[in-house]
Amino acid sequence: MFSERERERYKRQMILFGDEGQEQLKKAHIFIAGAGGLGSPVSIYLAVAGIGTITIVDMDVVDQTNLNRQILHFERDIGRKKTVSAAEKLREINPDITVHAIDVKIDETNAALLVGGAHGIVDAMDNYPTRYLLNEVAIAKNIPLFHGGIRGFYGQATTILPGITPCLKCIFPKAPPREVFPVVGVTPGIIGIVQANEVIKYLLHSGELLTNRLFIWDGMQSRAEECVVERNPDCNACSGLVTKRTVRTKE
Amino acid sequence: MTVKIRFFARFRELLGTDIITDVEAGTTFPALITTIAKKNPEGYTAIFDEKGAFREFVILMKNGRRIDIADAAETPVADGDDIAVFPPVAGG
Repeated sequence: MFSERERERYKRQMILFGDEGQEQLKKAHIFIAGAGGLGSPVSIYLAVAGIGTITIVDMDVVDQTNLNRQILHFERDIGRKKTVSAAEKLREINPDITVHAIDVKIDETNAALLVGGAHGIVDAMDNYPTRYLLNEVAIAKNIPLFHGGIRGFYGQATTILPGITPCLKCIFPKAPPREVFPVVGVTPGIIGIVQANEVIKYLLHSGELLTNRLFIWDGMQSRAEECVVERNPDCNACSGLVTKRTVRTKE
Repeated sequence: MTVKIRFFARFRELLGTDIITDVEAGTTFPALITTIAKKNPEGYTAIFDEKGAFREFVILMKNGRRIDIADAAETPVADGDDIAVFPPVAGG
């Protein structure tokens, strides 16, 4: 059920997907890994759309150099925990949702616990080792992983449904070297919004997801391209999944 | 025969993109990409290691389908192939 305030807030999108669709968003719990360049637009757009529960995790403190792209954080937040800043903004943006902001480094000991019962994971990380961990958690819990990555004016995104689409390891078996990556804020803006759009469609069970496709954005040429991506039968992360799924069906 | 090579992200900055080139029958992926990448030493070292092998994170696509870099040396290019070469981007 929706309050009068919620009905007004979501009026224009409920024309699109009705009470039922809005209810799907309201009862959803989405886990956002990172409150930085990608995590900012992802969380803002999921909050305004009325995703009922958002968990956002980050281990960093807001730095002046973040402010060209991490639009959740303001000048006044420099030196504050990103989670504190993020929770404050998201609750102001939409007081009718629940925001959990957790200040911790995601690692192999806590990743599955942090994700908990979330219905999907948004990859808003800045490194592949953590992305691979999220990929494993998504596979283990059989929930989608909404991948995004950026550098400079370039970005990529894909939606991973374990057992159905290639997983992150199938597509990118080896991590690129670490670097201080150049970035202009519009790039994570574009890719983050593509990810948030995927989450919304997934929760509404409508439209066509970015599955089995890698979306590649070139902001310099204002051109989006895509590549077909396929499962790797020898993937060390997801190749055993067919069996897992069969077992689950039998249950 | 003619093939088209598309580079992405950092590779595109260094080597351009939509490169249409004539190749001889039987040319393999490493040979083709090496020839093109050598036009810019920085572009070459971004894609290939000291031994001249593809760096392990490089993604190769032929007509939209992934080619494992381990199999690239045995994979000949064919007339009209659309070849994409890119690094995963890591930032967030």
